[in-house]
Formats: sequence, structure tokens, C-alpha cells
Amino acid sequence: MALIDRRTALAGVVALFGTGVFAPIARAAGAAQASKIPVISEGPPSVAVFTPAQRALMTALSDRVIPTTDTPGAIAAGVPAFLEKLLADWGSPDDRVPILDGLAAIEARSLKDYRVSAAQATPAQQDALLTLAMNDQLPKGATFFEAFRQLVITGYYTSEIGITQEREYLPVPGEYNGAFPYSKVNKVYSA
Amino acid sequence: MASTNRFDAIVIGSGVSGGFAAKELTEKGLRVLMLDRGAMVEHGEGYTYDGKPAYEVPARNIMPKALVESDYFIARHGYVAPSNQKFYNDDRLNPYAYDEGEKFYWIRPGAVGGKSLIWGRWSFRWAPADFEANKRDGIDGEWPIGYDDVAPWYKYVENYIGVSGSRENLPYLPDSEFMPPVPMNVAEQWLKGRLESKFPGRKLIHTRLSNITEDKPDQNRTKCQFRNQCGNGCSFGAYFSTQAVTLPAARATGRLTLQSDAVVTNLEYDTARKRVTGVRYVDSKTGQAQVVNADLVFLCASAMASTQIMMNSRPAGSGQSYFDRSGTLGRYVMDHIFRVGVEGDIPGMTDLIEYGRRPGGVYIPKFRNIDGAENVGFKRGYGYQGSAFRNPAAPVGFGASMKQGMRGYAPWRFSMGAFGECLPYKDNRVSLHANKVDRFGVPLMRFDVTFRENELRMMADARTQGEAMLRGAGLTNVTSSEGEHVPGDAIHEMGGARMGRDPGASVLNGWNQAHEASNLYVTDGAQMASASCVNPSLTFMALTARAADHAVRQMKHA
Repeated sequence: MALIDRRTALAGVVALFGTGVFAPIARAAGAAQASKIPVISEGPPSVAVFTPAQRALMTALSDRVIPTTDTPGAIAAGVPAFLEKLLADWGSPDDRVPILDGLAAIEARSLKDYRVSAAQATPAQQDALLTLAMNDQLPKGATFFEAFRQLVITGYYTSEIGITQEREYLPVPGEYNGAFPYSKVNKVYSA
Repeated sequence: MASTNRFDAIVIGSGVSGGFAAKELTEKGLRVLMLDRGAMVEHGEGYTYDGKPAYEVPARNIMPKALVESDYFIARHGYVAPSNQKFYNDDRLNPYAYDEGEKFYWIRPGAVGGKSLIWGRWSFRWAPADFEANKRDGIDGEWPIGYDDVAPWYKYVENYIGVSGSRENLPYLPDSEFMPPVPMNVAEQWLKGRLESKFPGRKLIHTRLSNITEDKPDQNRTKCQFRNQCGNGCSFGAYFSTQAVTLPAARATGRLTLQSDAVVTNLEYDTARKRVTGVRYVDSKTGQAQVVNADLVFLCASAMASTQIMMNSRPAGSGQSYFDRSGTLGRYVMDHIFRVGVEGDIPGMTDLIEYGRRPGGVYIPKFRNIDGAENVGFKRGYGYQGSAFRNPAAPVGFGASMKQGMRGYAPWRFSMGAFGECLPYKDNRVSLHANKVDRFGVPLMRFDVTFRENELRMMADARTQGEAMLRGAGLTNVTSSEGEHVPGDAIHEMGGARMGRDPGASVLNGWNQAHEASNLYVTDGAQMASASCVNPSLTFMALTARAADHAVRQMKHA
């Protein structure tokens, strides 16, 4: 295989999951009967990752990470549903921990500072809470922020809105130009 | 047990080698049965996610962790994704003795077409010196053939499949019959100029790819559209695959029968006549076994799988294969050593970006031990595959400013990885497991293959030289990395049934015939007596076409 494929393939996965994902390797062999090949889970999450309150906060914060500007934001792009589906069925249970911990820390701080649940806080207050997390001024705040932002970014830039509106999508470029003026597009081309 | 003489030849495997064997043999008039253990994938309609953006692929085309860990824990090293999952082997259903012996990633396909659907497509001729290297270095494993034996077949294959690249006139990397190259971008052109002037004798050239840059209307193939989604299957037929190129040709003769889901377990053999008399396979859907017969058998199941099938072809109660009179079957297994990466930022040109997505990049051919042994601390050499690109700008903070910032690009970045030649070692071997069998009753493959001092020194040099070249050329933020070197990881596994003149020290002769059975030809990676450092598939195709020509001439002669 060529390196460029390896780089392309690795970039997305490593960015999302980090590099520490290695399967337990030893596999029993034996002439066992063929079991069914698992399929990728689709449809609604198989487990509820969030309580309604957590879901409301996660949804609000996703839209603070990528808000609506001249293009739609994270909520319009379906990021909250993607995020819960990924944490329920496509990631590992360990991936939920920093997200749930961070949401709890943000909720606690919101109640303390603003006397209101974080999901009901104003956008400015939510931004302040996210900033505290980003700067690690909440318990495990930076860990939450990095993981949460990466999930939102992944969900957004793999959504139809992210790929075709926020970025420029060329389904069939037809040619390659390795000296194309950025000023002709002023956007990033989707991968 | 069904018996049949409906076929003149049986081809086992349908990857780059098997597909070419089927095309050549049918076009020369033979009725051919091609068996493949994978499920059928038809050109075009079988490419479920061809042209689909991530939001139209399950799980946004990110392999779910649980599925990777349960079923694709080896395939993950071959870049399996939801969009191409069905092209890959299921590691749970089809295991090997991974937890015993030395670590090896046996990355296998799971569909008709084999790895031709998912390969990297980099296509190089070997040089005369590659075929002479073992003899020159005094290493066990002299090739019975030389460059001149293969050159006309390289030409034949290249003209048929289409290879894009640039003429360079390098004696150590012979030019192919080229279509115009996939272009370099502005940053690569800059780097080429700097690197070649600062390091005389070293070159940075266009990649050589089986992606075509001109239409081939006679084959119903359209030139590359620069989508860089090759691994999903390409309905344009722009890269070489069995489905796009050799299967249609073989079918057009009306003499091909293709049987998918057919897991070959072993070959039957007539000891007195020294001939293969049957091919036994299990239908993976029904579990039924049968034996099919033909006068000629082409074994092209992949280097390791062909070796396994040969090892499992043995008298009842014996551990010794019919084809292993020499004691070399399963030995001298090689892969390219891999996982040294070097990268850096290319200054300037920040107003320019890439339009379109290339399926390849650039190549720095080997520059060590070119004219014989040099005093560099190791034998043979390595080349780098790389590309310059611009990633989207990294996120800063969050909110509208982050979103706006991510509409820009990071600076031009150049990244490359070294692929080094592994020497053939007798003790780098595969064998059949003593008591574990798979669901088809075939003993599991056990791998005892490691990279050794020569390979590790070569990688250290590749890292040092790579950094020196990128720094010397003026790149900034130059970093390098060296990952775990696991054989199989480069997916260039070779050897196991090497060619040689001496039947006492090799498995195949110079025409790919088994020394122990003149009607058995093995034309995939198993045949290789050394590994060069360039991607091997083009050589497998050329040697397959050459072997098919020989086989048919022998049949007509008989």
C-alpha cells in the first residue's frame, strides 16, 4: 500500500480516538462454527448515554463550539445525535467518561456561579463555562474540552452541512491543480 | 466428491496475479476455472460506497471500536473502513496463530479481486541490480532469472493496465511504459529543486501509479478523476483492479468460470507422475468440499496463502508437503520494513492550495548501495513515499472564531515514509500449526518472522537521512518518528516458495513451476527470492503473464 493512503486513513481515526486503541490480540482458533459477521449499528443509540438534562447541555455546548454563522452550526448539522450515537455504539464505553465528567463539572459550576442549570444559561455564560473547561479551571476540564471539541468537529465536518456548506465539496474533481489560488474558494475543500 | 475435466486450468486466487493468470490463459484459448475464497464483488455495482461522502457511509466512515476489536483487529493495519469493510478479511472468522510465534500482521482481503481492490497502486519495475542482489551480496537465494527475462513482460503488462509516471532514465529504477504522470503540486516542485541541488545524486520524482491519466476506451475505463477514494472501488475503472481490467478481459473470451466463496484447502498430487491432480476446496457458504481437476494449476492465493496451501498439500499423516523436498517451503519470508516517517513544513506558497485529491504523491528512490556494497553499515536500500499537502488549520479555542479559522489552511506540509528492503533469512518462516485448525479444517498459519540487524540499521539511516534531506532543503518544524516494525505491516509480504535453479534449495524454477510438479505454477509474492525496496505488485503481474505464456507453450508442445 502507498503511504498516502496510510496517512489519509490514519488521520481521521487517530484524531478521533487517539493512538491508544489496540485490540486484545490473542484469539482462540479451533474449528468453531462460523458465527455471524457483526454489522455496524445504525439507527437510534442502543443505550442512552445522557440523561435528558445532560443531553440538553451537550446539545447547547455543541452549538457554542460550532455556532451558526453565515453557515449553519452544530445543532443544524445533527452533531448532538451523532455524538450520542458515537458514544453509545461506535466508540468504547471509556470514551463516555470524560464527556460525562466534564458535563457534570460544568453543571456544578453553572449552578454555583449563575444559579441556573448550564443548559438554561445564556450563550455568554455557556461560553464562559467552556472557557473555564478549556483552560482546565474545572475538574478534568481540559480533558473534557479536548475530547468534546474533537467529537463536535468530527461530527460537524463529516455531516452534509459541514462537507457541502461550511466546506467546499468536489464529488468528482476531474483534474488536479497543485497551485490553485485559495482566493478562488476562500474555504477548505472537503476530503 | 465431484470430478470434472471441464477445465484446462484452475487459477487459485483472483488478485493482481490470479486475475492476470485468468486473462492470459483464457485469451490463449484455455477453459479456466478461477477460485477465490472471498465473496463476489462486481465492478461498479459492487462498490457500495463509491463516490459517497462520509455522511452517506455508516458511522461516518469511522470504523466502530468494538467492531475493530472483535473482527478487524488485523485488518485495521490495512486501513479498513466502513466504506470498504467487505473487501477485507474478517480476522475473527479466519484467524491465524497470532498469539504464538513472532508478531506478524497478515492483512488479507475478503472479496473476489483480492488486494487489487484495496492496494496502494504504486507500480515500479525492479532494476537489473535487484535480481542480481543476492548473488552480488553473497546471500543465499540467487535468482534464476534476470531483468532481461522480465522486461518484455513489464512492457506488456504496463501497456495493458496503464501506469502513470515520468521518464527518469535511472539505472536503478527503470522507466515503465508511462502515461503522463499525476502532477506534482507547487510545494513538491519547490522541494524537488532544493533537494536535488543540495543532495547530488538523490532524486525526488513523480509517483508511478496504476491510476491511468488517459482514457482506455477499449477497456471501458475512464482516466483518474482525482477523487482519491480508490479503496472504495472505482466505477471509472481508473486504477488497476481485477474487476476493472483483467476479469472483463477473461470473461470476454467466454472461457472463464469464476467461483467465489471457494476456500482452497490443499492440492492433490500424484507422486509417481509428479503432477498436481486436483484442487480441493470448501464452499464457505455450504461447508461442502469438492475436488476439481485440470491439467494446469496456477496458484495465486497471495504469498502467505499460497504457501499455506502448498504446506497443507501432503500425504495423510505426514507433516511434509509434496512440494517441500528442498526443506525451503515456508522459509525466506520477507516484507518491506516500514514505519519510519519524516515530515516538515514547506515555507511560503501560502496563497496556493490543492484542487482535487490525488491518489498518489512523490517518490525518493533509493540512493544507498546503488553501485554495489557501500560502507553504510547495511546491505540494500530504501525509498521514501511521500507527498506535500495542506491540512485544514487546526482548531483554536471554540466558537465562531474557531470556525472561521478552520476555513483556512495550515502551511504546506511534506510527509514521507521509508520502505526498506528486507533480506531473505532462512529462519524467517511460516509453518502449519501443530494442533489448531480453522473452520475449513486447515491448520492455522504460524509466523516466525522478524526484522533483523540489517533492516533496523537501514531504518535508522532512513530516519537520519530523511531529516537531513528535509532540513537541508529548507523545511522547518522537521520531525521524525519510528514506530514498531511488524512484518506484514507494509502488506508487501513475499517469499515462502522462492524461485531458484537448485531444486534442493528452492520451491519453484525460473518459470514459476514447482520443482516437484511441472503443472503447478505459483506466480504471486510467494515466488520472490529477494524483495527489492519498491512495491512488488507490478513484478507479480509481469511474472504471471510470463508464466502463463510458458505454461501454454508447454501444453501445446506436449
